[in-house]
Amino acid sequence: MSDCTSIDPLITPYVDDDISAAERQRVDAHVRSCPPCYSRVAAERAVRDLVRARRASLSSDCASAALRDRCVALGSASARGHRGATAIRWQTRMTPFALAATLVLVVGGAFLYVSTDRSTRVLAAELTADHVKCFGVMNTLLGTSADRLTIEHAMASTFGWQMHVPEATPGSGLELVGARPCFYAKGKVAHLMYRHNGHPVSVFMIPNMVRPGLAATAGIKDEVVDVMGHEATVWSSAGRTFVVVAREPEADVAQVVSFVQAALK
Amino acid sequence: MRKPRGEAAELNRSPSFEAEALASLDSLYRTALRLTHRPADAEDLVQETYLKAFRSADRFEPGTNLRAWLFTILHNTARNRARDHARDTVTVDSEAVERADISTATPGDTPETLLLRDTLAPDLQAAVDALPEVFRQALWLRDVEEFSYAEIAKMLAIPVGTVMSRISRGRRLLFNRLQHLRPAHV
Repeated sequence: MSDCTSIDPLITPYVDDDISAAERQRVDAHVRSCPPCYSRVAAERAVRDLVRARRASLSSDCASAALRDRCVALGSASARGHRGATAIRWQTRMTPFALAATLVLVVGGAFLYVSTDRSTRVLAAELTADHVKCFGVMNTLLGTSADRLTIEHAMASTFGWQMHVPEATPGSGLELVGARPCFYAKGKVAHLMYRHNGHPVSVFMIPNMVRPGLAATAGIKDEVVDVMGHEATVWSSAGRTFVVVAREPEADVAQVVSFVQAALK
Repeated sequence: MRKPRGEAAELNRSPSFEAEALASLDSLYRTALRLTHRPADAEDLVQETYLKAFRSADRFEPGTNLRAWLFTILHNTARNRARDHARDTVTVDSEAVERADISTATPGDTPETLLLRDTLAPDLQAAVDALPEVFRQALWLRDVEEFSYAEIAKMLAIPVGTVMSRISRGRRLLFNRLQHLRPAHV
């Protein structure tokens, strides 16, 4: 007869009926004459049956409508980007988040960002999702403030990136509140956070990357993509790509974009 | 003959890929909730999972289990996050937990049918949530999500034998905890 030690690893697959016929016979023979192992089989089987019988109640948690919409938007953006759709603007149904009516300015800085040939729409969608994620995590930051030189110094010492942070001035309605590194694609992204007229604002910058079709020879040529209820404005300048994502009236967004573009010249 | 990369990618990306992937949203969220314990973190984890899935859709092998592939991404992402935020996480000495003596032998007692009869859904939910993480993960993926041992092993990056061991110990721990909740023990 098999001993308990050799039977032990077979108990669970035996209970799950995921075992060969020969092994099943061995376990059958053993448990008939071994009360402890019989008891163990009975206990495992009881729990398995109980959990399976109550699966519906254990599985009652569902994803929120907001999460569903965000994920659907990501899927739509990905599919459209993959299929090479030509439309620039696209709309998604969006349940308002806690960040409704916020203005988000994103000037992306991915230090190890891997440039891909995917569409600007996919880039915008991923950055917007990243923004929502960051603000969900870092919402407490919005009550603080920071100065430009501190952030520039931190970015230089931490990442070796000499960057010019758009200076927030009372006249622009922008106030710099902080910065943090984010992970995006396969690299880190410097995420600068502002407030614009009291609403949260984020800034990223992508160095050494120029989006095809957005490298204007004169002036700045930008592309606007509506994504997940936000408006993403993407442009390339001086070997870098910038993305502005806003959830504000179009005129306000344009104002902030203009400010940042001017500040970065 | 190998297909050109672009052609292979096109074949992998069926029009229903996104829709089929999104059909697993609720179960991914439930599993994420068990991993993070916080709805906001669970949502964050699920969203990142879909970002990664859609981004690497061309690497999905048609004909394999898309749902299991998504769960693997979810668990990989959760592990990476735990690594990145190690200071915020409670470290579980899984080896010590796995060595823990879990005795279920209660001579003269035949509690299995009573367990099924007496256990209330909230008690079961609480007992599952109270399991050590390594056992809860394995038990959840097997008994609630119904993945195979091999699929779970890939998701959790552990050997199949360890998967079975964790499922076994998770069930026995759960059995003991629920036994203590039965009216006879109150």
